[in-house]
Amino acid sequence: MPLSLVYYAKEFLRGEWARKFLAAKTAPLEIPPYFRNYPELTGKTCTHHLFCMMACPAPGAIDVISTPEGWKPRIHIGHCIRCGLCVEACPNGVLSSGRILESMFYDNTRLSFSFRIDVDQTKCMGCGNCAVACPVNKLIDAQMSHGGRASTDDLLLKVSEGKCKVLHVEKCTGCKTCEHHCPNEAIRVARLLEAVHAPEEDI
Amino acid sequence: MTKRTVDVSIPVGPVHPCWKEPARVKCETRGEFVLSAEVELGYMKKGIERIMRGRPWQEVMFLAERVCGICSVIHNMVFIEALEKISAIPVPERAALLRVIVNELDRMQSHILANFSYCYTIEHETLGMYLLDTRERVMDELERITGARVTCAYIVPGGVRFDLRPEDALHLRAGMDALERDITRYMGMFEHGPLIALRSRGIGILTREAAREACAVGPTARASGIPDIDRRLRHPTYQKLGFAPVSREEGDNFARIMVRFQEVLQSIALIRKCLDTLPEGPIRGGGIPGAGEIAYSGEAPRGELSYFIKTDEAGRVVEISIQTPSIMNIEACCHYMLKGVASLADVPSTFVSSDPCIACTER
Amino acid sequence: MTMLQSLKNFVRSKSIHVAYVDVGSCNGCDIEVLACLAPRYDIEQYGIFVHNNPREADVLLVIGAYTPGWEEKLKGLWEKIPDPKAAIAIGNCPISGCLFARPHTLVDPPVAKHIPIAVQVPGCPPRPTEILSAILSVAPTVFKDYEVRK
Repeated sequence: MPLSLVYYAKEFLRGEWARKFLAAKTAPLEIPPYFRNYPELTGKTCTHHLFCMMACPAPGAIDVISTPEGWKPRIHIGHCIRCGLCVEACPNGVLSSGRILESMFYDNTRLSFSFRIDVDQTKCMGCGNCAVACPVNKLIDAQMSHGGRASTDDLLLKVSEGKCKVLHVEKCTGCKTCEHHCPNEAIRVARLLEAVHAPEEDI
Repeated sequence: MTKRTVDVSIPVGPVHPCWKEPARVKCETRGEFVLSAEVELGYMKKGIERIMRGRPWQEVMFLAERVCGICSVIHNMVFIEALEKISAIPVPERAALLRVIVNELDRMQSHILANFSYCYTIEHETLGMYLLDTRERVMDELERITGARVTCAYIVPGGVRFDLRPEDALHLRAGMDALERDITRYMGMFEHGPLIALRSRGIGILTREAAREACAVGPTARASGIPDIDRRLRHPTYQKLGFAPVSREEGDNFARIMVRFQEVLQSIALIRKCLDTLPEGPIRGGGIPGAGEIAYSGEAPRGELSYFIKTDEAGRVVEISIQTPSIMNIEACCHYMLKGVASLADVPSTFVSSDPCIACTER
Repeated sequence: MTMLQSLKNFVRSKSIHVAYVDVGSCNGCDIEVLACLAPRYDIEQYGIFVHNNPREADVLLVIGAYTPGWEEKLKGLWEKIPDPKAAIAIGNCPISGCLFARPHTLVDPPVAKHIPIAVQVPGCPPRPTEILSAILSVAPTVFKDYEVRK
């Protein structure tokens, strides 16, 4: 009995044991730098291409708002799933998250967008809502009449012979305004995302 | 008056201390002896396939990942590879090997989690905690490569999102060495523990014939002596790596857990082989999915996972149906393994040993 | 409030029993809650005991986007938990429905419509660290002045 007491006293009065007991530590609870956290602003100028919003897979996670300092993307926490696609899609590097920007620089990768407009000619009524609503058309021909008819052929969309025609698909910015204004679901915009290496001249 | 034993129907679940997810198992019992069991699902139906229709790949990819949070990488991989098959998009060699590395890391963490659940269910908490700590290290490697712990979103059409950096490759190699040491030790503990043997050997037996009859897949089938069930045998990258599946003959709870341990060791070997043969080169080949339809399958940690996909010209998913492995294993568990289990206390452990994933069963 | 009560509440806030219920998630948040048990995060060193038995729980972790299968059942589960109690929403699903809040979905987010939620932990899935700090932040407020409020 006394021997065991001596043993316990010797065991537990050691400075090392007491320190360990009083300041027990597991691994530090910090977020490692390589974790893709919520995107943060890097301070670069946003050019309002809206590629972040188009790439975002979560509903209502990101929008771009106008502030006195210019356009600014805003992340909605509680909707954002931290996938990092907006960081990769941004052509200007406005957002950053974890090591994604760094990796894109080293691996020379990027996401490129292209758009495709399909008009279902059997459903199209030729009402011209799409052509009038299109923001690209508004910049080119502000005088477009309400039926979607115009004299110039520079437009993205135009109604001729009672049907909607896509003239310059390369001008499309993928906003889907036409899709939302179509009463008959005849026009559909596809946002084609391609994961590529950036071409050499871009560096 | 003489004592009479009455047949009782005992429901287990849906909220049960041993189960991570809601499911109800109704056991018809005579005393402690289980006569038959019936599983009742339907607590997790979210309608993912309905949401997926009419969406481009960049949205469906994330939904596919969220079919199952534990084995998210394989859902991502099978969906993207099916799209690549449809429109003949080539994948660079380096990207194909990186996919295998990430997929095997995901399989390891899933297997270790399944074994942790089993150890926790048979009240061997020490081994369970050891395993859970080991799993954290696998998660670290995953996080280093992909930037996220669970939903990695790593595989995109024509390649992968991030390259493996040289310092991460070194870290991965060192991590694999440490992991192999630990897993071998825990495997020995599991294999030779007398109390573990009492709770696992000879319990919940699924014979080879019953496994064929119930269409069991994955480790559950491989523990019953059906090695050729592994879909990795048909994957070109795995074929190049010289993959050969493991299997055991016993078909009881013990064999199922041991098969998972052996597969973790096998995954470590596969990752080493990938790291050795990893060529320099691009990680993305580009390519936009087009129109077509395909049925494609891959080997998830729980077994065969197949996707049927139909796309339109713009690459949008028109029709999709997913078949996940757990449903076959749950059926096999309830109709074959649980029948004849000697004690009700073994019902949760037998159910957990078949590694059911309710989230991906119901989607 | 008497001295005894405040002492009792202080001690109670240092030993929290946690139950979790999955009302239709992808399983990702589930395993992140499980990962909190791991020796690295070691949830038990803070006096939090993950028990998964609603009848003796203080804090309910709600995971998932509320599927039709849980109608009536979640409410019953919440009522079975003895007072004082708090519910924590883990992940994006109980907050906004995450990716599942789209047309043709079966889920009915947010969960706050059905039971009162005290704290929300956003993320898809949140890291174990974030879950831990959320439980720790709610721990002192669950029991504080409980008798007075009642």
